[in-house]
Amino acid sequence: MNPPAIYQTVFPKLTDTDTIGDAMRRMLDDRVSDLPVVDASGKFIGMFKLDRLYATLLPKAALIGYGIPDLTFVSDTLGQLRARMRKVEPQAVRDYVVPPDHVVHPDTPPLEIVLLLHQGANNIPVVDRDSGRLAGMASARDLLTALQAGDKK
Amino acid sequence: MTHGDPAHAASVILGLSPLWVATTLFVGTYLVIMSDKLNRAIVALLGAGLLILVGVLNQHEAMAAVDFNTLGLLLGMMLIVNITRRSGLFQYVAIWSAKKVDARPWGILLMMSIVTAVFSAFLDNVTTVLLTVPVTLLITDELKVKPYPYLFAQIFASNIGGTATLIGDPPNIMIGSATGLTFNDFAIALTPIIVPIFVATMIPLYYYWGRHLRATDENRRHVMGFNEREAITDPRLLKQSLTVIALVILGFMLQRQIKIEPATIAVFGAAVLLLLDNLGKDAETQSKNVHGALSEAEWITLMFFLGLFILVFGIQKAGLIDMMADALLKATGGDFKLTALAILWGSAFLSAFIDNIPFVATMIPLIKAMGPTFGGENALLPLWWALSLGACLGGNGTLIGASANLVVAGLAERAGTTFRFVEFMKVAFPLMLISIVLSHAYIYFRYL
Repeated sequence: MNPPAIYQTVFPKLTDTDTIGDAMRRMLDDRVSDLPVVDASGKFIGMFKLDRLYATLLPKAALIGYGIPDLTFVSDTLGQLRARMRKVEPQAVRDYVVPPDHVVHPDTPPLEIVLLLHQGANNIPVVDRDSGRLAGMASARDLLTALQAGDKK
Repeated sequence: MTHGDPAHAASVILGLSPLWVATTLFVGTYLVIMSDKLNRAIVALLGAGLLILVGVLNQHEAMAAVDFNTLGLLLGMMLIVNITRRSGLFQYVAIWSAKKVDARPWGILLMMSIVTAVFSAFLDNVTTVLLTVPVTLLITDELKVKPYPYLFAQIFASNIGGTATLIGDPPNIMIGSATGLTFNDFAIALTPIIVPIFVATMIPLYYYWGRHLRATDENRRHVMGFNEREAITDPRLLKQSLTVIALVILGFMLQRQIKIEPATIAVFGAAVLLLLDNLGKDAETQSKNVHGALSEAEWITLMFFLGLFILVFGIQKAGLIDMMADALLKATGGDFKLTALAILWGSAFLSAFIDNIPFVATMIPLIKAMGPTFGGENALLPLWWALSLGACLGGNGTLIGASANLVVAGLAERAGTTFRFVEFMKVAFPLMLISIVLSHAYIYFRYL
């Protein structure tokens, strides 16, 4: 019998034609802050991350990394932020996809996945080397589950 | 005019001519710097090192060639700004000025330009635009107006404002250090022409862009809703910084009376500010604060200067500077007025396309070499002002003319606004020419 996988093969994901609104609902339902995005053929094209979405609420000047250390002097209200978000919601997630920080493969040794998680990675996409299809997602929680399952055996 | 004395030249490898070796290394180094293929600090240090290795200079001469007054003044001011900016002072002033004009688009453009020019007169231009441009982008974002005219105006303002004082722009720091001209000398000689140049730049900008700028009342209300007091993140540090900056500038003003060089004043001021900022803090926090302030200094610029001083002394010792001075005097027929105006216009055109720091580094000994021809060093004053005005204002001519231009373009790019070379030059070059025409008239009528 094969040992339990260190990653999940059933996991929430987005297709590139989904909207930002769809993505937000999925994130709330599944309590995650980033989701993998695939195209119509199931090929992995990148990640949709909550921090990328939050960036759309911020003035561009705050994102250039210099000169605006904080925004305490800007009095934009929650209502104004909501209005900004409403404008973004109909857009497709493909415009917000970012390359993943790390990618592993089904044959990647478990220790390498442990190292990445130890270094702060979270929700690592597992991509098939040949087809480029998304085979699964590995998270710290999955690792813990896999380790505990081993103990029970 | 005396040429470099080969008798005093160190022995160059393979018995080659020191003049040819130094000239080849100098020209080669400048060409690589201009190509932007390698970091300019690397190139300048390599060029300086090669001059020593091949025997044009020995190490003692190379170290003696470094103008530590320029380096110290630059470093001291960099440290003071790096500490001060943590207080939020610059954001406060920028927001305050925008609100003073009721967030009207043209008023903000004018006020941000004034703020940039004034800051640039007392701080390094690049630092100034790094501190003010993000606030401009934030304000234009809220106003929903195109940031390009604002950023364009700030580029001009930083280069114009920086020309007004000894400490505003590296060429002035170099000229001041080489000649002994003080902060007051620069302010008295250059501020009277810098103010009209600033006005003469803003008028065409108003007709070209300013009068077309529009913002809705609602968007203006967003900007008026900014609370500038919240921008002050450390009131204690703000008071300390303002006190030290005021004392440092006072020190510059009294330089002749107290007989202390600007570098000492600036570095001492930086040390006092570091002390005030770290009093009562534990060793680890002190170490972190001091490391932060020191590491954020523009070491690339400082090392670039260090290499340049050695390179220029290499060609000076080899006799090339004297030959160039002779050639310039021959071209102007030894006419003082013509020489001054040639330096002004030549500096402006060259500085529009090449880095003005190496250019000024080369021109300083060249102008000094003209001293005997024109009746001594005291007679050269108009030439120094011509060099300063030409080299500093010329940088406005193109997008690559000054470091501040490229920094603004880089920040704008990251915020989604593109600066293109030709598009920029179409407006900038004529405006730069206006500033040089005014400088020409000023130098002619006041000094010649």
